[in-house]
Amino acid sequence: MNVVAREAAHARATPRSDRYLDVAAVTKRFGAATVLKDLDISVARSEFISLLGPSGCGKTTLLRLIAGLMKPDGGRIAIGGNDLTQVPAHKRNIGVVFQNYALFPHLSVEQNVAFGLEAQRTPKAEIGGRVQNALALVRMQAFAERRISALSGGQQQRVAVARALVVKPSLLLLDEPFSALDRKLRETMQIELRHLLRDLEITSIFVTHDQDEALVMSDRIAVMNEGRIEQLGTPDEVYSSPASLHVLEFVGQSTRIGGTASASGQGGDFDIETPIGQIRASMRRNSGPTGKVVVGIRPECIALGERPGADFNEITAELADIVFFGSKTALHFKPPAMEDRIQVEVARLPSGVAPGAALKLHWPIAETMVYPTP
Amino acid sequence: MTTIGMETQVTAPPRRRLLQLDAPAIMVLPGLVFMVVAFAIPVLILVADSFRDASGLSLAGYRKVLGDPYYIGIIWNSLQLGLITTIGSLLIGYPAAFALSRAPARLQVLLFALIFLPLTVSIIVKTFGLAIMMRRDGILNWLLLNLGFIERPMRLVFTEFALYFGMINVFLPLMILPIYSVMRQLDPRLTDAAASLGAGPVTTFLRVTLPLTMPGVVAGISLVFSISVAAYVTPGLLIGDRFMTMSQVMAKAYLNIRDFNLGASMAVVMLVVAVTIVFTSTYFAEPASRRGRKG
Repeated sequence: MNVVAREAAHARATPRSDRYLDVAAVTKRFGAATVLKDLDISVARSEFISLLGPSGCGKTTLLRLIAGLMKPDGGRIAIGGNDLTQVPAHKRNIGVVFQNYALFPHLSVEQNVAFGLEAQRTPKAEIGGRVQNALALVRMQAFAERRISALSGGQQQRVAVARALVVKPSLLLLDEPFSALDRKLRETMQIELRHLLRDLEITSIFVTHDQDEALVMSDRIAVMNEGRIEQLGTPDEVYSSPASLHVLEFVGQSTRIGGTASASGQGGDFDIETPIGQIRASMRRNSGPTGKVVVGIRPECIALGERPGADFNEITAELADIVFFGSKTALHFKPPAMEDRIQVEVARLPSGVAPGAALKLHWPIAETMVYPTP
Repeated sequence: MTTIGMETQVTAPPRRRLLQLDAPAIMVLPGLVFMVVAFAIPVLILVADSFRDASGLSLAGYRKVLGDPYYIGIIWNSLQLGLITTIGSLLIGYPAAFALSRAPARLQVLLFALIFLPLTVSIIVKTFGLAIMMRRDGILNWLLLNLGFIERPMRLVFTEFALYFGMINVFLPLMILPIYSVMRQLDPRLTDAAASLGAGPVTTFLRVTLPLTMPGVVAGISLVFSISVAAYVTPGLLIGDRFMTMSQVMAKAYLNIRDFNLGASMAVVMLVVAVTIVFTSTYFAEPASRRGRKG
């Protein structure tokens, strides 16, 4: 995720007050297991929200509840003020792009796209034109007559998008639509789809376990864990100010160091005793937990060399590995007292640096994140 | 002469084998030999028998079977037997196969065993069991009496009700199994997708589930019809001579009156009827499952 794209995403995510989709206190149980518990989320009109979390966190369940493919055990789901909780899926007018696309294998591309219009008894004269428009939107007109099995993964995905959009849904749900595509194609399709949905101003909810995907595409990201939303914010907020240790771990790379925090705050700062020395953190950034804590630092915040001033932390560590990525180089440090590695990213490797060298590292106190040990 | 010698050298014939035997060809061989001996040859003899009697070439058998109203009635009886059994099995079997394919895995194993188990019981045992069940003092009459549907025990054995009840009972598993095997492979997300596009349960069934499970339906229909149209034991025990079928005529022709020409003619007619029904049902159902139903 580059900074420009993140800033652009931030600029898009201007606060909106209207609650177009309103999910309130929704609970879902499967037998004894509670998958979602009193979950609330509101989505503004034409916003693109990602539900990001590990498998089993309840994100797909939430999507299916919104689509009406499952009934919640409690709570309320409304769109534009209309309570849909008891409305069956086929009367909700919510489009879904499924993980494996779920295209009808016995119908052609054209017939797949026409399916929703025919099911909703759209006048015959209108269907042909709308199908062509939808196919043009995803640049698939040339494939109208094709059978589904004769399409590539990327083409199938386009058809699935056209099929969902042609009925003008009030909301579009996407369930990991890129997971079956290879990396290159995935990146192209992400940008293409994002542009398309923004142009059409369709309110979209996007389920993914891929943090990069969520960061690239979303206006806001809801990071989910164990049936709850741990943080809801812009990609920048979620990356730069993770609300919990889980969010820190799940979104982006980070170095995590266990330690003990003391309450002694001087000038808004407090100290944490760690195996690699004392680390200072800011009260302005952290709520100032005491006792067992975890310190988190993003790799791009750490720089090589002596600290330039008092508002930086500094440690000395032995370089274990150099990992070359092309546009950047990652340095892995492995202090003997630590289980995890310290990850540092530099644009260019300084000359004469080799594994085994003891180097000084520093990072701003303001970029030091502290979370209570779970 | 030297030229000939040279010629033989130049045009050394490439080694051509009469049969190119590769592994699959060898593997199909035992089955092929068996089918030729056990099926093709007997059918050829049967066809030959249908065109000759003691005096030589003759169409007497066909004239009787296709001309005599008595025999036409019997052909109609067999057709009716096959059709009603097939339709009954389909109406009961299709929803059952659907439920089975959507049941939780553990329940599915149990239900599957319950459907499969009757196939392991001899058809004679099963049919006698049904006959006992349908006697005047049998459990079916007892049930109907106690539920208040009837006031006096009904005659059930040797009625058409008994016949179809028994036939459907015997053939139901053969309908459920092929439909179930196709239904199980149906991605449940396809029906979710149809619902999300605004299709109600009926539209979803007619335009997604049914076309995609059509191959199983065709297999079930072909299987049940072609076997039930030729059923011998079950009709014999449950309704007897009151409802003569082609199989019974054949048995009588061969075993009692020793009119091989009549028996063979009837057999060929039955074969043609069964093959025709199987092929037409496949023909009509196959494109339906390919293109679905275009509104």
